[in-house]
Amino acid sequence: MTTLDLTTTNPLPKAKSRFTLKTEAERFALVAAWLLLIAIFGFLMPDSFLSWRSFSTLFGSQAILVVLTLAIIIPLTSGDFDLSGASTLTMSCMLIAVLNVKLGWPIVPVIVVALASGIVIGAANAVFVLYFRIHSLIVTLGIGTFVNGLILWVSNSQTISGVSMDLVEWVIINRFLGIPLAFFYAMILAAIIWYALEYTIPGRKLLFVGRGREVSRLNGIDVDRVRATSFILSGLISAFAGVLYAGMTGSADPLSGLNLLLPAFAAAFLGATTISPGRFNAFGAVISVYFLVTGITGLTMLGADAYVQNLFYGGALVIAVSLSQLVRNRQPQDFS
Amino acid sequence: MRRILASSLLAAATLAVASMPAAADPMADARAIIAAHRAMPVFAPPGEPFDAKACMADKKVLSIPISMTIPFNVELQKAMASAAAEVGFTYTTWDNQLKIDQWVQGISQAISQKYDVVDLAGGLNPEVLGPQLSEARAAGLKISTTHFYDVTQPAIKSVDYSGKVDFTGAGKLLAAWAYEQTKGKPNVLIIGSSDVLPSIPFVKSIQDQLKTLCPDCKQKHLDVPVSEWATKIQSGTQSALLADPSINYILPIYDSMSQFVVPALRITGSEGAVKVASFNGTPFVLDMIRQGQVEMDIGESLGWAGYAAIDNIMRMLCGKPEVAKLNVPLLVFDKDNIKTAGVPANFNDGYGDAHLDGFRKLWMLK
Repeated sequence: MTTLDLTTTNPLPKAKSRFTLKTEAERFALVAAWLLLIAIFGFLMPDSFLSWRSFSTLFGSQAILVVLTLAIIIPLTSGDFDLSGASTLTMSCMLIAVLNVKLGWPIVPVIVVALASGIVIGAANAVFVLYFRIHSLIVTLGIGTFVNGLILWVSNSQTISGVSMDLVEWVIINRFLGIPLAFFYAMILAAIIWYALEYTIPGRKLLFVGRGREVSRLNGIDVDRVRATSFILSGLISAFAGVLYAGMTGSADPLSGLNLLLPAFAAAFLGATTISPGRFNAFGAVISVYFLVTGITGLTMLGADAYVQNLFYGGALVIAVSLSQLVRNRQPQDFS
Repeated sequence: MRRILASSLLAAATLAVASMPAAADPMADARAIIAAHRAMPVFAPPGEPFDAKACMADKKVLSIPISMTIPFNVELQKAMASAAAEVGFTYTTWDNQLKIDQWVQGISQAISQKYDVVDLAGGLNPEVLGPQLSEARAAGLKISTTHFYDVTQPAIKSVDYSGKVDFTGAGKLLAAWAYEQTKGKPNVLIIGSSDVLPSIPFVKSIQDQLKTLCPDCKQKHLDVPVSEWATKIQSGTQSALLADPSINYILPIYDSMSQFVVPALRITGSEGAVKVASFNGTPFVLDMIRQGQVEMDIGESLGWAGYAAIDNIMRMLCGKPEVAKLNVPLLVFDKDNIKTAGVPANFNDGYGDAHLDGFRKLWMLK
């Protein structure tokens, strides 16, 4: 019965049997739009915008948003939301500051503790979602808010500066090809997630669970285990984003990291319209982050006011997703 | 005729030169402004002495800070409570977490518990509580604001007395600092937040002072609303530095912005070449001066601010004239004196305690 319902309400996408201009255009439309943006700003500001310094800055500074987006697309792929991602990031960042600056711990064990905090938060999400059968939206919202309270408590509502320069050096000061190392960490992570989802059995299981839980269960997949793993991985990667955030700013404050949640979701959904349209995918997310940031950087360099950035960000998101829908003949989007 | 014309032209030219804002010796002017804020603060009475104990007997004051999750407000409230305890009247802090319903509750509480004063402290804009303040006034309460308006801004009608802050003075000092440190050749990026009411005259005073010191120098204003500091200050600063690599000084008007400015300097490879100076004296930014990431921070002692705020509130209840500005000295912290702010830094060290004796005498407590 359930299987029948799923097939009628969620028709499987047509198999991509062969190369067609339309499908390829859909896959690479956002990449083309990104290149077009670069061309426009390059034409308007050939000296400043087209410099390598400008691109290395752009690539390096957005690595944290890329990593957080990669974290949340894992549960999104298995059909769950993780609204606690930004809180996990902030908690990890704050733990680094408190343990390293206030308590004087060396940076390596501090990073281990920060990453472990992400695993604990991810496991807590999994327990409440899977054992109590509560929707992930509610659980991760609640756990995220709880974590926000913990952050205020452990930090005493203070901003803490003076995080180990070793971490700062390995995040933004040391460079390869002129680009801060944080960018390469994000790219390696994106490649791992892409490979895992495309070519490994656990990765394919994650996709199947997202497409239809009952079908997956009837096919012998341990759905709960797959979903629990996705929450824990999301927590771990969000905590890694927190480590990079501490390295980027050299400090931690109880609130600012929380602002990355909505941009990360925007990038995840925009990324699902490109490279592998209709599916959350790692490089789609990477391209969407850099597409949006290129627009904002170019506009700011031209001297646009802060509100223009919001107009661009919101407008580009809705227009890009709408155009992608037109190409798909306005089929209902199924991101679960 | 020709002579009249020539003398008129000469007179006009003299007048034009005289009215030009450029200073005769701008470097000397800038140094004088900085020097005035380097000395250890001395107490200057903000008004005539009065018998505070007698006049405040049985009086009750309720202060609503914008949020007690902000360390600045916690310290300000501590100092205000300590001053009130010395005089001996009831002083209550309405604890809240930046929620409008909690502020409204606070005012209702003040009315029902028959308080004499509702004070809005540490950045809470009275305009968002218009109807509630009218109700409080109708019930006979006095309304004050503490540490919100700039000295050049008039308070709205629903407020009786305001403890105003010399943001424009801080702005002039920041401009003078950038001018002096760049040897008279500043190219400045000012980062402001127009959604915070006093930041408008604050930014304007930096811009005007820079124009006065150096009419031809470049300056740029990056306006970022408070809610978007975390996402827009770093990217905006990076873009400004890429668009104009000759920028040599960044002036974030509130020092908590610095944590987003420093990464922008690092990532664009500008750290060291581009300096940062700011205002507030927040401990983690003072720590950043010690670590060499920020060049200068203008500190305002919250101990002084708390006592000065209570002084103004008591003057309101005792029928004395309003104080023109909170009696809070602005002190320059840089690498030379940063250790006096404590290691790690805190809100109160480095300013001395001349205010304690000064206010006690002013209130006739000794």
